[in-house]
Amino acid sequence: MPNIGDLIGRVVGVLGEVLGSSSLRLGIGPTLAIAGILLILLSLVARPTSRWLTRDLGRLSAVGRSMALAAESGASVAFSLGTAGIVRSVPAAARLQTLAALPILAHVARAAARSGVPMEVTTNDPVAAMLAESTVLEAHRGTETLERASRSRIAYIGEGRATAAAHALASEPRPGAAFVIGGLGEEGLLLLDGFARDARSTSFGTAAASQATSVLLEGEGTLIGPQLYQAPSDLGRAGHDRIAVFAGNRLAWISLAVLLVGSALVAVGGADLASFLVGH
Amino acid sequence: MRRSLPATLVVVVGLILLADFVIVNRSLAAVAGTLLEYLVLLAAAAAIAGGLALAMRHVGDLRHARGDRPGSLLLLAGMAVMLVGGFFPGSGGADGPLVRWLVGALLAPLVAALFALLFFFLLAAARRGLRLRSRETTVMLLAAAVALILLLPLGGVAGRWLAAVAGWTLDVPIGAVFRGLLIGVAIATAVAAARILLAIDGTVEE
Repeated sequence: MPNIGDLIGRVVGVLGEVLGSSSLRLGIGPTLAIAGILLILLSLVARPTSRWLTRDLGRLSAVGRSMALAAESGASVAFSLGTAGIVRSVPAAARLQTLAALPILAHVARAAARSGVPMEVTTNDPVAAMLAESTVLEAHRGTETLERASRSRIAYIGEGRATAAAHALASEPRPGAAFVIGGLGEEGLLLLDGFARDARSTSFGTAAASQATSVLLEGEGTLIGPQLYQAPSDLGRAGHDRIAVFAGNRLAWISLAVLLVGSALVAVGGADLASFLVGH
Repeated sequence: MRRSLPATLVVVVGLILLADFVIVNRSLAAVAGTLLEYLVLLAAAAAIAGGLALAMRHVGDLRHARGDRPGSLLLLAGMAVMLVGGFFPGSGGADGPLVRWLVGALLAPLVAALFALLFFFLLAAARRGLRLRSRETTVMLLAAAVALILLLPLGGVAGRWLAAVAGWTLDVPIGAVFRGLLIGVAIATAVAAARILLAIDGTVEE
């Protein structure tokens, strides 16, 4: 009967064999660089919430008010997950934008569920549609409003970027809030215009650098470039945390201003502001 | 348990693919290859499921007389014609002559016509942008106008000077802004990917 020592010995032997028959694809230098970058990323993800630049990205803090207005007027809310999708034939960086949009969809869906506003989520990717359905259902479950879930609709509108743009332009105007968050391509302007038409409030966002101008021109609230990934982190912060960061930012600006003014005064031979402030 | 199983799958699959990226090993490559084949299968199955869902939704719209009924009818007819063209005996599937004609003579011109609208929508977007945030949009439109003037196809000394300034503008200020945006996006993308890989999902609790 093999003892534990034998077992460990065999496991170590197998590992040694695997390591012995393997080689580094990129060489030692690039592999260490990748490992180093991963370590830096790990330190970043350990504190995934932005600390020093928090502000109302994409006007997402106004979502509750938008929902209240939509509920009063009996309007609905339209949400598009962009045109990159999850399993579509696009670069991985574009697919990640769809995943980054899901927490924002969850935030909007919770607000819509609380206010009793029906949502229409559209996407051109079936897997993204499935994830959106789960997200909206989870929002209703979390807010204990499952009876309202049937009023919301998640629609797969067919394959292609042009399809999404054409669908947005041909759909009936939505007087409520409109959101387009996710990967966009050359159809971006058409899609955004279709969603912005007659909407009372709009929040658009994409990390696609080529579509930044489309988002800036069409949206009231905008998420440009890295902000798309930063916004979900900011959504998770409690109110007092955000206030503390706002106050910290202002203090940092005031300190910088005092330093600059003090330096300028000393340079022109005026009063020594530093001595005055410390009571000398 | 419901949350931990998908998270574990994501972590394990992600780490295997990452390890295959940096390590040359036959067994590891075989496992990674199989996983990628599963991904292709998943995408194909999702496409079929999506198509069925789309057809069922529009059939439901027609049956219950809701939504845009002519649009639903047109969509279902289009799907049927394309399927018949692809599945017709001896048609060659996606390379069949009818499918190729439908794509080349119908779909491609429709898409081209849609994208031809971009210029007009750009003008409408500029007007909307001026209404939303006039200062920033004015700066953006002025910059666009300057870029257009610099890129005018003129000859002579003035043309060469304009071309040189245009090149400098594209390489230095605009290039710097674009590179900065791309670097920021790349870092944020890597962090988001690492968060997904480590199952630190973006679900926000309120």
